[in-house]
Amino acid sequence: MTKPFLIIGGGPAGLAAAHSLASVGQKVVLVEKENKLGGAPILSGYAKLVPSGEWAKDAIGAMVDRVVGNPNITIKTGATVVEFSGEPGTFTAKLSTGDAIDNSASILCTGFTHFDSVNKPEWGFGTFPDVVSTTQVEQMISSGQGVRRPSNGEKPKRVAILLCVGSRDRQIGREWCSKICCTVSAKMAMEIREELPDCHVYIYYMDIRTFGLYEEIYWKSQEEQKVKYIKARIAEVTSDGDKVIVKGEDTLVKRPITIPFDLVVHAIGMDPNVDNMLISSVFGIDLHHWGFLKQENTYGVMGATSRPGVYVAGSATGPETIDDSIAQGNAAAMSALAAVVGQSMAAE
Amino acid sequence: MPIHEKNLIRPENISTHDNLVMDGVDVSGDWSTFIKTRVVADYNEELQDEIAALPGGEYIHRCWQCGSCTNSCTINAINPDFNPRYWIYLIRMGFESELVRDKDLIWQCVSCNKCTSACPRDVVPEAVMKATAHWLERKGYTKKSSSTVFDEVFSEQVIERGKIEDGEVVMSFFNRTGQKLTQPWLIEMVKRMIKGLPVQMLTMMGLATVFKPKTRNWGPARDAINDYIEEQEALLDEKLGPSVPYKAPEPAPTQIPAE
Repeated sequence: MTKPFLIIGGGPAGLAAAHSLASVGQKVVLVEKENKLGGAPILSGYAKLVPSGEWAKDAIGAMVDRVVGNPNITIKTGATVVEFSGEPGTFTAKLSTGDAIDNSASILCTGFTHFDSVNKPEWGFGTFPDVVSTTQVEQMISSGQGVRRPSNGEKPKRVAILLCVGSRDRQIGREWCSKICCTVSAKMAMEIREELPDCHVYIYYMDIRTFGLYEEIYWKSQEEQKVKYIKARIAEVTSDGDKVIVKGEDTLVKRPITIPFDLVVHAIGMDPNVDNMLISSVFGIDLHHWGFLKQENTYGVMGATSRPGVYVAGSATGPETIDDSIAQGNAAAMSALAAVVGQSMAAE
Repeated sequence: MPIHEKNLIRPENISTHDNLVMDGVDVSGDWSTFIKTRVVADYNEELQDEIAALPGGEYIHRCWQCGSCTNSCTINAINPDFNPRYWIYLIRMGFESELVRDKDLIWQCVSCNKCTSACPRDVVPEAVMKATAHWLERKGYTKKSSSTVFDEVFSEQVIERGKIEDGEVVMSFFNRTGQKLTQPWLIEMVKRMIKGLPVQMLTMMGLATVFKPKTRNWGPARDAINDYIEEQEALLDEKLGPSVPYKAPEPAPTQIPAE
């Protein structure tokens, strides 16, 4: 009998990997830093997910439930890996709780960290209460409270969503596209228009990247919900004490714009997990030059890192959608399973 | 609904006919305003490379037209026609004639560098503006700016002797820019210097005016600098063609020629 598989991170990728390995009769130990499973969609209180429109608590909640009830899966919440040693097939991981977990392979599903908008001070986050992040609007929607101005609780009549906050920006060392913010913003704009039909929603963009089938969400937001898209990167966000004032240039018509809004939303990007330096040193794996966990192989073995026997999946590898994270979790599980089973067969 | 694009239409391209009949229908008067088709026939596909060859223009190819430069711009806030984003676009597309149309605006950049710190792709738009202003000078579209003349006077002396002599810098600069030396403020400044500065310092300054101090063993440095400049000039000549002297535009004809 082989040793269990160690999965670090209980978000969509980790839950998928744990479930698929348990389904084929393998023992799994799932380690989660927080006290709750579900990852960013649950911990950050996302509302409806793209593209299914299901609520995060239902969709990801179901993934959590089937893992929690599975006899093949041992769950360790509130724990991190502090030491990791050994060779493929015979690894030992020491946890912050003092436990030592013998394992045959590990899959890192350690996810990302939301960009903190205070790092773009010119856009008013942290200065004006009515400047919020997409995560906060998700929480307004998922809590049932609805989209309101934090300053006075009123329904906004004009909302601006600024794209590429913390993405595609050399000034703050974040040169990657966070992949999902365009789509999430288009979806969010539609949700705002559905809840508040009198509210005008403007999206300020550099490029629109609603890739693949998500293009449908972009089209719908314009055709059905009349969301307005303006090609402009905003210079600064100020306030007259009540309204939030957005200043920029409508580049397509070469016209300066200074527009008052009730609510400004930052479509924040996905940073590498803040713990990635630590993870890289504990597990002895390489980082991508932008700080994500590096995938060693694109075509041959899915989810391989620079260390044999250690795999990676989900947004730990770079900005990723939930459905692709789940696919990567399954793919990494298959890679790990193939390697471990292959090794034990060779030994017999 | 107002037509926001109106500012893209130039007055010279609008035509109104007092008397016009088309297909038997009278379309005279204001309501029949026509906008002439804008035709750009002479693209200069080398334009981006030409700007990139000048110091500061190196990163112009990075621009993706987000407009951060224009909307953080000090001058744009005063004059909306001052639009670095638009000029970068014209340069990249090779619309030379459109760019030259704004030749009396581009040099107005005050180098505050707010664009530089706003640009998400590190185009360094301030440096691109400087390169563009130099390109306009080099192509003979604009007169050499006073600051360029000053730079020349200053660096000529540094290259020659390793040092500048203040009096000579001021005199050559005034001379080359066609300004009189007898400016009231300058006379007043010299008077106060004579009155207020220690005698020893005045003596040193006087001696310097006459003997032109030189950095010791400057020769090899001067030769190296001159070699480098020659090399760079040759590169620019190759990319941009030789400098074209500025020619003042001909005065507008007093009589409108008959069509």
